Amino acid sequence: MSDQVTGISTGTEITGAQATAEPVLRRRNRLEIWLFIIPAFLFQLIWGWYPLVVAFLISFTDAQPLLPSTFTGLDSYMRVWNDPLVAMSFRVTFLYAGMTIALTFVIPIIVAILLMEMPPRTMRWMMLLWFLPLSPIANTILWKYIYNAQYGLFQYIATNIMHLPAQPFLNDPNQVLFWLIFPGVLLFGPGLIYMAALQGIPNSYYEAAEVEGASFWRKIWTISFPRLRPIISMLLTFGIIGSLQEFAWPQIMTGGEPEGASRTVVMYLYSYIQNQRYSDATALSVFLFIVLMVIIILFRTFVKEDPDA
Amino acid sequence: MSLFPKVGRKQGSVRIAWWTVVALLCLGVFLHLLPFYFMISTSFKTGVETMADPPTLWPQHPTLAAWQLVLQITNITSNNTLAAQLLDEPLYVYFWNSIFMTVTTLLISLPITALAAYANSKLQRGPIARWSFLFFIGTLMVPFAVVLLPTLLLTLNFPFALTEGSIPNFPGTDQPFPTLRIWDTPWAVIIPAAFNAFNFLLFKGFFDTIPNSIIQAARVDGGSEFNIFRRIVFPMSIPVFAVAAWIQFGAVWDNFLWPSLAFRSPDKIPTSVAIYTLMNRFTSAGITDANQAMGQSMAMKQLLEAGLSWNGLMVLGLLQTLPIFVMFIICREYLLRGVRLRCLK
Repeated sequence: MSDQVTGISTGTEITGAQATAEPVLRRRNRLEIWLFIIPAFLFQLIWGWYPLVVAFLISFTDAQPLLPSTFTGLDSYMRVWNDPLVAMSFRVTFLYAGMTIALTFVIPIIVAILLMEMPPRTMRWMMLLWFLPLSPIANTILWKYIYNAQYGLFQYIATNIMHLPAQPFLNDPNQVLFWLIFPGVLLFGPGLIYMAALQGIPNSYYEAAEVEGASFWRKIWTISFPRLRPIISMLLTFGIIGSLQEFAWPQIMTGGEPEGASRTVVMYLYSYIQNQRYSDATALSVFLFIVLMVIIILFRTFVKEDPDA
Repeated sequence: MSLFPKVGRKQGSVRIAWWTVVALLCLGVFLHLLPFYFMISTSFKTGVETMADPPTLWPQHPTLAAWQLVLQITNITSNNTLAAQLLDEPLYVYFWNSIFMTVTTLLISLPITALAAYANSKLQRGPIARWSFLFFIGTLMVPFAVVLLPTLLLTLNFPFALTEGSIPNFPGTDQPFPTLRIWDTPWAVIIPAAFNAFNFLLFKGFFDTIPNSIIQAARVDGGSEFNIFRRIVFPMSIPVFAVAAWIQFGAVWDNFLWPSLAFRSPDKIPTSVAIYTLMNRFTSAGITDANQAMGQSMAMKQLLEAGLSWNGLMVLGLLQTLPIFVMFIICREYLLRGVRLRCLK
């Protein structure tokens, strides 16, 4: 008991004396920190890191599915490095990721900022309609129908309204990536996160700016954007990671066709797994991981996170 | 908020700008609703009409055939064996599986992730905080395809990510170590998703913005750390809980690759896998191809005549979207409730 009392008193004294000083924690609270952390720690260790380490070890063996595997060193890395289809899949992946970020990333931010301008009742309805979700499975069904070369909606628009020759859409190596990304332009992503972040900006900032005579764009540029910067930076990082790891959507829509023009790295990796070339698959994933790390580190060094910086 | 000035809203230029913004937003809403309209209208068309060229703007002969036929899959005792042979189990079994998995994951994952993020943000400090942060988010950079195989082995023989034959023996005996098999149960989906690194980052980002002085004041008043979290931090962070729940719900509900590997029994798979299987059966049977559909087997021809083609698939797609839609409405309510709390401050 006396221990607790002294703990509290020192804590208040320090915060009273100098605002930046760290308060002293009581021993009971120190125990509670561990209770907070331990469940997540165990789950992350067993289901996050353990499979990762195993996968990394597999890449140095010949990984036979049912036999004991033998150590083969860097053989699988050499095989993957010399595979011409790997270089091609990396090219496709970079193109896909670049196009995805360029075409789909900015729209939800602008929409979220503008939606916050609406009167509350209108905002509620527009928010509902703008960020209306569609299940990816339903999305695949819908767009397979729309892109159908015989009787799809887009074929009708292309031939009868725009008077173009019949378009192949997903069957043309030059168009396939654009048509894969197009649904993402129309159906928006993480708008709710931006709305949540925008609500955290105190209104007084805007009021102060208005007193100073700041214009519409000036307020967006000097208040909204800097305040959103941590969340934009985070979502951009994950946008890059996610689009470089794109798998399910192109796999279901095209399966990598035509001629591998839409086969991303992870899709190629999956085909390795299907052919039971497990060590090659993990070696390829190590290459992808290195590329990701380089991009993320470059990105982090050039983008500031702190809105007050 | 107030990007537009409070004073002088009646000015011409401000008015024009305001209505431009409104018009742009309405245009976006219109474009966004087109796919939904297209899905719903297609689900009311007849099977032959879905393959008409040019596509019809609204159903020429509106019919509930597709809805009835798809819902008959739920009724396995019905005489319509055509629908029954497409899926092995009634549809509600898959829905129940999906809902059980998703809700259990949410109930386990949100508290675990939020508590760890809170401890990392407010209670740990110095190098320990930095390293545990890296420990928690480090796996985000890894494509899921990489850990697919080890995770699968881990669900098969729980403490070992090894195949059946290579599990080490108990020292001194020829008995292999006992293993726990969670493969082919709902827990194979729930447990690997119990800690969500992305939500950890989301929570941590939010908890970082809570001023330390609030927590310090509660500590001085003698609250235990858990009570501080429950009584003070949790009510403040309801919007971010809503966003995290929404992200996690979508991720588990629509996950398709992992459940398609983690289950063998047809009565345990979630709707996403069931619908995908059904879609493949439809496509391979040729009833989505106008030319093939005519020359196909009797059974499929009957199905098409009964009205099951793209319209049936659209019904399934809409049914798959429905729970996500409900969750979206709920989360949006809580998000806006958080706004009101902030406005009162």
